[in-house]
Amino acid sequence: MFKRLMVMLLIVSFIGASLGLALASGDKGNSRKGKYLYRKNCRVCHVENGKAKELSPISKTQAQWKTTFEARDKLACKAEWAKMSDKDINDIYAYLWGHAKDSPSPAKCK
Amino acid sequence: MAQTSSRGISRRGFLKLAGAAGAAAAIGGGVTGPRPAQAAGGIKPGFESKFSVCDMCFNKCSLIARVQDGVIQKLDPNPKFLKSRGMLCAKGNAGVEQVYGADRLKYPLLRVGERGEGKFKRISWDQALDLMAANFKQIGDQYTRCGFMFMAGSDMQSTFVHRFAEAYGSYNTLSHESMCLIAGTRAFLDTFGEVPIPDMLYTKYVVMAGANRFESLVTPDSMDLMSAMKNGAKLVVLDPRYTKTAAKADEWFAIKPRTDMAFMLAVAHVLITENLYDKKFVADKTYGIEQLAKHVEPYTPQWAAGQCDIPAEDIQRIARELAAAAPAAMVYPGRRSSNYTDSTQIRRSYAIVNALLGNWDRPGGLTAARVVGLGGGIPFEAPFYESNPEDRIDAGKAKLMFPEEGSFKLARDAVLDGKPYPVKGFFVYHTNPMQTAANRSKTVAMLDSMEFVACMDIHMSDTAWMADLVLPSQTYLERQDPCSAQQGSSACACVVMRDPVVAPLYESKPVFWVMQQVAARLGLGKYFDFTVEQFRDKQLAELPGAMDALRRDGVYYNPSKLYGVYEGKIYKTKSHKIELYNSRYAEMGIEPMPVYTPPKPGGHARMRMVVGRNAVITQSSSQNNALLAKFQPTNHLWIHPDRAQELDVKDGDWVWVKSKAGKQRIQAKVTHETRPDTVYMATGFGVLSPGLANIYGKGACIAEVLGDEFDQITGNMAMHETWVRVGKEAA
Repeated sequence: MFKRLMVMLLIVSFIGASLGLALASGDKGNSRKGKYLYRKNCRVCHVENGKAKELSPISKTQAQWKTTFEARDKLACKAEWAKMSDKDINDIYAYLWGHAKDSPSPAKCK
Repeated sequence: MAQTSSRGISRRGFLKLAGAAGAAAAIGGGVTGPRPAQAAGGIKPGFESKFSVCDMCFNKCSLIARVQDGVIQKLDPNPKFLKSRGMLCAKGNAGVEQVYGADRLKYPLLRVGERGEGKFKRISWDQALDLMAANFKQIGDQYTRCGFMFMAGSDMQSTFVHRFAEAYGSYNTLSHESMCLIAGTRAFLDTFGEVPIPDMLYTKYVVMAGANRFESLVTPDSMDLMSAMKNGAKLVVLDPRYTKTAAKADEWFAIKPRTDMAFMLAVAHVLITENLYDKKFVADKTYGIEQLAKHVEPYTPQWAAGQCDIPAEDIQRIARELAAAAPAAMVYPGRRSSNYTDSTQIRRSYAIVNALLGNWDRPGGLTAARVVGLGGGIPFEAPFYESNPEDRIDAGKAKLMFPEEGSFKLARDAVLDGKPYPVKGFFVYHTNPMQTAANRSKTVAMLDSMEFVACMDIHMSDTAWMADLVLPSQTYLERQDPCSAQQGSSACACVVMRDPVVAPLYESKPVFWVMQQVAARLGLGKYFDFTVEQFRDKQLAELPGAMDALRRDGVYYNPSKLYGVYEGKIYKTKSHKIELYNSRYAEMGIEPMPVYTPPKPGGHARMRMVVGRNAVITQSSSQNNALLAKFQPTNHLWIHPDRAQELDVKDGDWVWVKSKAGKQRIQAKVTHETRPDTVYMATGFGVLSPGLANIYGKGACIAEVLGDEFDQITGNMAMHETWVRVGKEAA
């Protein structure tokens, strides 16, 4: 039991560390894939007159996107995030972080 | 050039034909639009007046077309259009010739000879669209979707080309901007967090370096600067040429090319060492004054004088005068900055001086973009193609390239190398890289390397001449276009739109329709399942009353906040302040503050070639206009009398001008209006296409001679890095 717990802890910490590393610098994900995934999964609700607040990459600074992603288990849509692969999450992050309002290439349109 | 020329038709006959076509469509109800001149009732003028938006350059000035029997008789300015201050320039007035010019493309043409040989045959639109769809499919299947590249000019329908590219699945979209302004955009974005709009009307002091605003018109800057000068503002111009702007200036300095940064760093030196900068503004709103103070310490006016050929006492005096007039004073940001390999850093030095003057977000200084409120149109969710490569073909070759603009220069090199992956298809709309991109031979080689090139334009441009498929576009006066947001600082924040003022001539079509038709053939029809009206309605959804204003006045104004926009807000930079010291640059291995590198000596035998515009030429799109060609029928090589004498060249003599990129023959204009180490010629002549009958065989092509160095940060073409030799042509 103790061994299984240790293995699980190791896996969790490894995933957390790798994702944390990636989140520190959004250019490790595929921003173009992230744009597609964001539109497909997030913009369904985060749209003008949608179920959730309208969002685009320029809605937040890079630091705010980092904070948001690190605490995504506290978001109203945490169940949706839980279904997503780490790669997809990282790709969406690369898109939003990479085109944030204080990024070198802020997104031009919503 | 089989079957494309209409030179056999006289102008009178042509207009009759055009009139008949227009009248027929009008009877059929094909032309709709506002009629402001008739609204007042009373005496009817015998013509209709319809709003449109000029397309003779990028400024998009609102205009009123006077239409009689379905034919445009005259174009007038819209007096209610504040951005142009109710002005329509010479180019704008000549726009009627874009519609009725004898060289209009009339129907789709398919190349049947060798590329560039000029043998085309007429085909139907159905054949043309089927051919496009087949090539999009074949090239996409064989080389991935990114194997097809797109290039669209500054046009109100270019958004549909980008939409198509995204739905089709190619990241490789290019615009004209990487031959124009992206270095300046990058510099100001990385200093202020956005690109400023100068508040020229209320300024008291302007240093203009590398811009020619009284010839190369930008609205409202050109008009407002003139008004500001009437009100006592001072204009100091730094330019190696004696331009019209230099002629109107209070002071002109024939600065040595590639030394503008030295001048700006010395101005910063004076502002800091003499405590003339806006200390409160700098303390509250900027980042890095300590680093900047140390950085500019060695850049004294005495040092700069040796670089720029501008006396030290003048540099010192100008810095003091700027400070005295601040915050209603500025170093004008400029527009085209495709000059040098460090153009971003050069423009950063302009931005830094502005920050020291504390002119941001204040009257007479640099203002932020105002809220216009125009939406992005109809959203869509483009598919993702797993087979695609990870990024653009030019990715990673310039550290801070704009991913939506790319770099024509770096993309062209990558296509020629075939690395990192092959690109074999090219669709070009409303732009002409054969004339606008330096090193024309390389553009020819790139087009030669393509398996399929389609070009859509109103006339047989040099790029169309090299294409496999040529598509006739409607002119701006025949089209229905989306709305466009405009920024004009204290003049306005506004929206304009286009409806057709006459029925389209021949078989010309809008690119929206072409993209829609090809998308349908590729199973991508759902991405174009709307009309332009529906797209506009969505754009205007949050602006109640805007459409009424557009129909009534030809323009909608948003009375949004102009000054103090940033009060209580962060700046959109890494430090969230105005960055004198750019910390992101430091992390990326880019100099965080501009470091001056003296120009490499060219040797006495060589002269630097520079680019510039005049008031009747925008780009190659307006050169073949019969009315404008009367003002500028050809180009000449400007050369200083001292150098001409050394070369035994007299005014009007034929000379050759040669660089590492290419060679052209041209007539010399011997003039004191350029420095002895600098030569100049206008853009857009020396064309290859006989389809441009008004200018074919005239002048020389600057794109053939210019080398294709690039700005290392953005990939912007660097068009002033070319050394040329000049010689008298043997009799």
